[in-house]
Amino acid sequence: MIWMGVIIAFLPLAWVGYGLENAIDPIKSLYSVSGMSAIILLLLSLLPSTCKRLCGYNLLRYRRPLGLLAFCYALLHILVFIILDAEGDIAFVVRESLKKPFVFIGMSAFLILLGMAFTSTKRLFKRFAKYHQAVYGAVILAVTHAFWAQKVAGIFEYMLVFSAIIFLSERLIFRMKNL
Amino acid sequence: MSIFDSHEITPEALFSARRQFLKLGAGALVSASALSNLMASMPLDKALRYVPSTNPHGLVLNTLEQASNYVNFYEFSTDKEAPVKLSAKMKTSPWDVDFLGEIEKKEMLEVDELISLFGLEERIYRFRCVEGWSMVVPWIGFPLSKLVDYLQPNSKAKYVKFTTRYDPSMFPDQSKGIFASIKYPYVEGLRMDEAMNPLSFIAVGMYGKRLLPQNGAPIRLVVPWKYGFKSIKSIDNIEFVEEEPKNTWQVQNPKEYGFYANVNPSVDHPRWTQAKERVLGKFGKQNTLSFNGYEKEVGHLYAGMDLRKFF
Repeated sequence: MIWMGVIIAFLPLAWVGYGLENAIDPIKSLYSVSGMSAIILLLLSLLPSTCKRLCGYNLLRYRRPLGLLAFCYALLHILVFIILDAEGDIAFVVRESLKKPFVFIGMSAFLILLGMAFTSTKRLFKRFAKYHQAVYGAVILAVTHAFWAQKVAGIFEYMLVFSAIIFLSERLIFRMKNL
Repeated sequence: MSIFDSHEITPEALFSARRQFLKLGAGALVSASALSNLMASMPLDKALRYVPSTNPHGLVLNTLEQASNYVNFYEFSTDKEAPVKLSAKMKTSPWDVDFLGEIEKKEMLEVDELISLFGLEERIYRFRCVEGWSMVVPWIGFPLSKLVDYLQPNSKAKYVKFTTRYDPSMFPDQSKGIFASIKYPYVEGLRMDEAMNPLSFIAVGMYGKRLLPQNGAPIRLVVPWKYGFKSIKSIDNIEFVEEEPKNTWQVQNPKEYGFYANVNPSVDHPRWTQAKERVLGKFGKQNTLSFNGYEKEVGHLYAGMDLRKFF
């Protein structure tokens, strides 16, 4: 079941890879597909615990694979930036990341996911579980980044914002009830 | 991509026109009604006769496929490819353009009238989008200065304001009210001396044929040293005004888009760098040139101006 999910999650990658040779703006299509996939998977990784609280289904075993898949796409997104867009110019990458708020928040979201991916093994997760709440920060940063990436935001970006608000407010309400 | 010298090839338009002519000759033998049927069926896009460009900058063309399947035409969609299908039924002929404001000849002219007034020539220009991609396109049309001279602006005409057609039945995004992606109608403007510069061009065709709807049919502006959003599409009217017009993207986001929008690798967009560009169809990037490579032709227009302030 998990493996089928993983295969489905990599379909966008296969799709963009297949069309790449004839892509009119190949760097842009790699950016879009990796970014959109990462953010959708990241939001989906918030679903299992919400689902458990609201409808009683335990899907928690899917949380880690979803998070790791989101990380994989985010990594691909960053690699497109470093290797293709910046053409390996690390100084440029650092400069842009610090200078441009739009790049800065995207990079920050990635660093959060990087830390979480590193500490996602069973052994390390025991020690670092409480830090994994940083995922909420990553979601807010990533959605803002996606919203900002467009010249004007469209329906996809509004849906991201909407889902993020739903997931985050559900958690807030749950915590206030259990204070 | 073919690398024939463009002079050596019979343009597709001429070739087809020749064939059509032969058919017409045969048709005349059959009957007069058959002849008129054939004439009516003669595709509009074959009608362009123009002086080919010598390609003085030696630019390598992008393909028609690339230039016509990757467009920004928000009146149809914010997607790059969606306008291709959404615009398929756009009615672009007849199309009247209204000339207004501080001019002697306030009149309305059909696109074909404009073509017969000013003739047609080809211009092979670089095209650089503010989003960071670029292409090279062979446009067909006439210099904007010819049109301006014809309209005889008076001394109050300091700027030229261009407006895209407003017709929600033609452009789906215009019918969305407050949910529209940007404010309509789309407006752009040029300073009078910019409009009179020999590079400023009104296009009615590209790649030997009439403009496709998604590329701004039937008539659009092309200002090669400015970011692509200045090159307004499907023009409804041109007004000569005293005050600097507020162009759509400046209204939409004044911190990011200005009136001038000259291609400038040393002034970044607040969200991304403008130093390099992605040439459509290529993986690698290339350096963006000052004024998109037309500094010699237009640099003097901005002498003494702070281009960081007037971006």
